[in-house]
Amino acid sequence: MFLSVSGLMGRFHPILVHLPIGILLLACFFQWLSIKERFALLRPAIPVMLFWGVLSGIFSCLTGYMLSLSADYDADLVEQHQWLGILSVTASLIFYLLYKFSFNEKMARWFSLGIIVLITITGHLGGSLTHGSDYLTSALHNNQEGPALKPIPNIQEAALYPGVVQPLLQARCYSCHGPEKQKGKLRLDQQNFILKGGKDGVALIAGKADESEMIRRILLPVSNEKHMPPKEKPQLTAEEIALLHWWINTGADFNKKIKDLPQTEKIKPVLIALQSGNVKKEENAMPDQQVAKADETIVSRLKKAGVIVGPVAQNSNYLSANFVNANADSLITLLEPLKEQLLWLKLDHAAINDAAMPVIGKLTTLTKLQLSNTLVTDQGIAALQSLHHLASLNLTGTKVTAKGIERLKPLKALRYLYLYQTDVKNQEWTSLQKAFPATRLDSGKYIVASLPTDTMIVKPPPKKM
Amino acid sequence: MTQKELQVQRLVKEAQEAYLRLHTRRHFLKESAMGLGALAMGSLLGGCGGNSNAIAPVAFDPAHPLLPKPPQFAGKAKSVIYLHMAGAPSQLELFDYKPELMKMDGQDCPPSLLAGKKFAFISGVPKMLGPQARFAQHGESRTWVSENLPHFSTVVDEVSFLKAVTTDQFNHAPAQLLMHTGSPRLGRPSMGSWVTYGLGTENQNLPGFVVLTSGGSFPDAGKSVWGSGFLPSVYQGVQCRSEGDPVLFIKDPNGMSRDLRKASIETINEANRQEYAEYNDPEILSRISQYEMAYRMQITAPEVMNINDEPSYIHEMYGTQPGKSCFANNVLLARKLVEKGVRYVQLFDWGWDAHGDSPNNAVNIGLINKCRTIDKAITALLLDLKQRGLLEETLVVWGGEFGRTPMMENRNGINAPFKGRDHHTEAFTIWMAGGGIKPGYTYGETDEIGYSAVSGKTDAFDIQATILNQLGFNHEQFTYYFQGRPFRLTDVGGKVIRDIIA
Repeated sequence: MFLSVSGLMGRFHPILVHLPIGILLLACFFQWLSIKERFALLRPAIPVMLFWGVLSGIFSCLTGYMLSLSADYDADLVEQHQWLGILSVTASLIFYLLYKFSFNEKMARWFSLGIIVLITITGHLGGSLTHGSDYLTSALHNNQEGPALKPIPNIQEAALYPGVVQPLLQARCYSCHGPEKQKGKLRLDQQNFILKGGKDGVALIAGKADESEMIRRILLPVSNEKHMPPKEKPQLTAEEIALLHWWINTGADFNKKIKDLPQTEKIKPVLIALQSGNVKKEENAMPDQQVAKADETIVSRLKKAGVIVGPVAQNSNYLSANFVNANADSLITLLEPLKEQLLWLKLDHAAINDAAMPVIGKLTTLTKLQLSNTLVTDQGIAALQSLHHLASLNLTGTKVTAKGIERLKPLKALRYLYLYQTDVKNQEWTSLQKAFPATRLDSGKYIVASLPTDTMIVKPPPKKM
Repeated sequence: MTQKELQVQRLVKEAQEAYLRLHTRRHFLKESAMGLGALAMGSLLGGCGGNSNAIAPVAFDPAHPLLPKPPQFAGKAKSVIYLHMAGAPSQLELFDYKPELMKMDGQDCPPSLLAGKKFAFISGVPKMLGPQARFAQHGESRTWVSENLPHFSTVVDEVSFLKAVTTDQFNHAPAQLLMHTGSPRLGRPSMGSWVTYGLGTENQNLPGFVVLTSGGSFPDAGKSVWGSGFLPSVYQGVQCRSEGDPVLFIKDPNGMSRDLRKASIETINEANRQEYAEYNDPEILSRISQYEMAYRMQITAPEVMNINDEPSYIHEMYGTQPGKSCFANNVLLARKLVEKGVRYVQLFDWGWDAHGDSPNNAVNIGLINKCRTIDKAITALLLDLKQRGLLEETLVVWGGEFGRTPMMENRNGINAPFKGRDHHTEAFTIWMAGGGIKPGYTYGETDEIGYSAVSGKTDAFDIQATILNQLGFNHEQFTYYFQGRPFRLTDVGGKVIRDIIA
């Protein structure tokens, strides 16, 4: 009974504590203000404020002690906070008695200065207890929402726990289950603490991820009270969960390298994605570096001719151009001055041929180029070798052949190459794919073969007479 | 001075003061110091919407309302094809495989599933109804799909399934409105209108937002479901006919030359411009741009809107029925439109309301026939977009307005004559593909009988937020100022479903 009442009272500590902080700080400020003649009349207020400040300070100390009994906090930090709090109140009490019995101006100034310093430090420690010690500084690097894991260049050589699991726990769990705070008596920052578990038992059972409390909590619906991390905190992504799951299933080892652990089909793509940062982001992604604004006169000339040209996003100087409503042949040379800005170019069904390709070859910023259903041939596309950032190239419905396409091998950034309705022969696809190991070649010609059921109509069973 | 005169004098003075209080500037300012001060401070602080990193509102140019505009950030999708199965298809016969429900088939529904719940038609204690189709796992993603969609099950590795979509509307019209306008009541702009308002459209000779219907009937919510609400009316969906010519009177009448046509439209527009100069009504500008669009469409529309010049293997692939009104024709047309730079194509296919009140509405008869009308077409759409390199930048969405109950319908307490299911709000399936959506993925889970969402719960607002996100919009900052406050598609809800984004 006593424990639960004291527990309840303890919860008032974070509220109550602001009374002495405010009152005592103001009293100390008044002390310094009253040096000036015009503020001298504040002086009689100081002992009154000190009295109430000390009184509320004593109550704060008591409730703070009750809160500390719940022991969800880092013991060292609590102890420092406790003694500094008591020291602040004691100093204030002496300051008050000084006013009552033997006033000394010089002493009063020293006391007020000391109390300000004490309250600041105590308050900071209190804040570290509730919000975590990196609360202030985290606003500076602002890494709360982003991915918890940075790309790892050689993933197979990396050790799973220090390289992947620990950074993950650090980003998503330490703030409540770390050195400063141990909610539910669980601490996840060191091997022995992880294995020890918390109030509700062990956090993980090596080799049995699905039975481990940690995974079970993570997989609960976000609305569930027991879901981890709490719903207001950044959540784990599906890939991050898969990594934790895999780590526990492979025995929750703290030293082994990733290559030494059995890799399931499910985890392989996650590991690959981790190695390259984020493979999927590459195509369509914006270049990292900024670029100067494009020449406005050229943009407006193109616009006037019916070319749909404009920034790819607000606050971006990169451009996209689409010739769906314009006669591309006569306008293509106008694009050259935009070569630093032009990111996406759409020329499908445009009346252009190989003659236009040398100009396009100079547009080296391009990441996406659609030349589908144009008159380009092998000769023309050779000029595209210089487009080093090109990630997606659409040659659907053109007369290009495997021979011509192989000359695009220098395009290392190429992820998608669309070759539906081109002159690539059936037997050439395998060798072509070999020439472009990192590119997804799309040969098209997909068939949705008819099934007899497609046109059959299900009829209701005949009515019984 | 007598007592009476004094009193009169005082009354007169009071009256004068009262008059002054009402009329003089000094009194006005004195009396309203607090109120005016607060107002002034309010505007100094930047008002309610004061947000230091607010994104500039979409610039609206009434003279060129459909010119492309940059999105807030570079989106992965450029256009959207939304396939809405009006009437709400049964997730339990298509995607949500529930073997446990089979075991309960024919049993009375447990009271725990009925207590405090409301259904459109179910009353009393209905019987449970097991899945009326066989399921198998398909593709590398091992996704469960029923035998009702044999073609679609070959392309599940292109698709992200949302298995735990919920809604709070159990009638067709409000639920459709919620899905497409973000409100179950009339008057809000539809998603296609928001998108064309925000992005304009690439091809200036075609409308930005096209609507195609099939299945013999309009969606229950009527044309409001592609209306422009309070957005300028130029952004409303342009409905094309699904049988015969998609657009009527596209050719100039006999005896009228192109120049004469141009001159007459110019004259009409000039008259409208004068009208606008006088009344300043932006709707007049919408009308002018619509006339100009109609003139330009005369050149492009006959080519783009005609599926007949597609090669026969494409017709075979989609399973079209040229000349008739059918879903497959509309799907092929949708691909052609997107290829030509139309921003948002909205399809409605009516006839999925499988209550079991007739053979056509039975989950083991009519539903199978409905599936056969869409199966080839939706499969062909994904593959055709893919081989043309368009799936990268085209977001395809398929779904209904709600789901169907794991219980058999018992309208008025009597079991339905055929196997049917009632409207269900607590769990249904929607899938998305292309436009930067993760291929071969399933998000969200229902309980073992498919009654309610267990994890990965999503709703209409989440889907809208995700679609806008793929197009390059933060749904919380994409607003339109109307009647004194900013409105947004997702109202006060919506969370982008990051899990299904590649």
